[in-house]
Amino acid sequence: MNAIILSAVWGIIMMFSGIVTKSKTAIRNTAIIGLALLLIGNYADMMGYHLVTMEVHKMLYFDTFGLLGNSIAFASTLLLVLLSGRDMEKVGHNLAEYFALIFFVLCGISLVTTFNSLLMLFLGIEIISIPLYILTGSDKKNLKSNEAALKYFLMGSFSTGLMLLGIAFLYGASPMGSFAVDELWTAKPQVSPLMLSGILLLLISMSFKVSAAPFHFWTPDVYDGAPTVFTSFMATIVKVSIFVGFIRLFDEGFGQGAAQWQIFVAIITAATLFIGNITAVFQQSVKRMLAYSSIAQAGFMLLGLLSLTGIAKQGIILYAAAYSLATIGIFAILLRMKDYTFEGFNGLAKRQPLLAATCTIFLLSLAGIPLTGGFFAKYYMLMSVVSTGKFMWLAIFAVLCAAVSAYYYFRVIQAMYFKDGEGGTEVEPSAGFKGLLVLLAALILVLGVFPQTLLHQLTEMIYTW
Amino acid sequence: MGITQVLFWFLSIMAILSAILVVISKNPVHSVLWLIVVFVAISGHYILLNAQFLAIVNLIVYAGAIMVLFLFVFMLMNLNSETEPQKNRWLKIAGVIAGGALLLVMVAALKRADLKTQVAQMNTGDIGLIHNLGMALFHDYVIPFEISSVLFLSAMVGVVVIGKKD
Repeated sequence: MNAIILSAVWGIIMMFSGIVTKSKTAIRNTAIIGLALLLIGNYADMMGYHLVTMEVHKMLYFDTFGLLGNSIAFASTLLLVLLSGRDMEKVGHNLAEYFALIFFVLCGISLVTTFNSLLMLFLGIEIISIPLYILTGSDKKNLKSNEAALKYFLMGSFSTGLMLLGIAFLYGASPMGSFAVDELWTAKPQVSPLMLSGILLLLISMSFKVSAAPFHFWTPDVYDGAPTVFTSFMATIVKVSIFVGFIRLFDEGFGQGAAQWQIFVAIITAATLFIGNITAVFQQSVKRMLAYSSIAQAGFMLLGLLSLTGIAKQGIILYAAAYSLATIGIFAILLRMKDYTFEGFNGLAKRQPLLAATCTIFLLSLAGIPLTGGFFAKYYMLMSVVSTGKFMWLAIFAVLCAAVSAYYYFRVIQAMYFKDGEGGTEVEPSAGFKGLLVLLAALILVLGVFPQTLLHQLTEMIYTW
Repeated sequence: MGITQVLFWFLSIMAILSAILVVISKNPVHSVLWLIVVFVAISGHYILLNAQFLAIVNLIVYAGAIMVLFLFVFMLMNLNSETEPQKNRWLKIAGVIAGGALLLVMVAALKRADLKTQVAQMNTGDIGLIHNLGMALFHDYVIPFEISSVLFLSAMVGVVVIGKKD
């Protein structure tokens, strides 16, 4: 509850900060303070200190899984603003409003990670989506940004319509006529067709929001057209938080009837892995490659949705952290580049050795090379699928797809180290920027070397609460 | 057949017929006008269920405000049958197949639906009265009610960001 209240209130504060001051540094610092407060508030919630206590009528349920998802989202946003806050100023004149919208998205995120009622899920998804449509189109002079925003808005509202239809079906099918997630499943062994079609509609609309194939067609255009700093926000923080909600919905709502819908999730996972990885190979722009790579990574996170075990829940938290940190880092470096194509990275290692080295660690983590956080994230996802005993073919297929993904991640590394060219940054990056990149890389290595200590604590927290 | 049933069938047939006309009308302005008829028929259904507040809000917001917006957009875009783009035949066939598959799923879902215990409360239900609605809204559903204000606030901020002159 702390996170929901704090993020909504700080959104309003950011809104008014634009009136009080014109100084961009002051506005950015206000946002950084707000994000730090959110992180502390969320931690206090986990420790049992609440700002307010109120009767929530079983609409929200604050468990460790959701709150940990919140923490990762807030910490990643803080790192994003610290790294790329200055680039947000270049997008347009309304810096305070951009931050206000980001805080409202965070409010939606904290609803989606802790909902216990389909109503709250719907509200959370909408509070995330509407500010994102606007952030996508915030570069008003750029035609591509306008096109991306319109495309995202039209497709997004259509998928929201499907979600509402699914919620209506589930309401009709639930035995007591209720929106509460844990009361949805009927005691009857035979699931009614009404309920199954409701589950399918929810599966489709949630897959759209996390850009799983075959509902991914908006992703490359939107991620390519949106201002890069907001692409970074959408592709990492928003995506992994919706995944936390996705897993929560299917675990607590429909977990008992997993056999009925698992095959659909398996097909979506296989399609997402295949399309994301194969299409990423043919891209010429690194930004577009990262868009397809985010589809491919969503495929791996869907493996957790398939198995829904305790390992899967820990794995998705680890995956969220590893994927967000690495992708935010790469986008922060990409923002400083003159040229967004692969050629733009040629010879970067000679001019900016530190940037090239940290970028290599981020790319290795995304590819899932051992000693980085990405390796253990992928490992836990695969382990959770194997431990269920079904869908071995999917685990093998996922490993093959991870091998394909190494090709396009290594292309960037090859360009940086083994090719000569004019690739470089627009201006010399500041020492603070470099320091933060090193911190991000160090975090990824820590996640990759000591996941056991972290996961042990996670297990204790998830199961003892 | 009592007066309620007669009204129910009349409103239902009116709603379905005008919904079909919305889709098949060539002129978009006609589509909008038929859509108003759909909304009026559905408001009639709400009144049959003794939900006066919902019926009035549906009339004011949907049949009133949103339809006027639709008409404005059509007039600004100057749509008519000549400017309508030619659609690919394969695209049409694919649309028919996809829509038909969805229809099949819907019919299958509703055909075997176990809704006999929750039949509509004609004349007797009072949950739709404004007093009871207010009690439900500000007691059981107070959290979503309050949080939806964040949604509207973010939409307003967005409108200003998009609409403001730089």
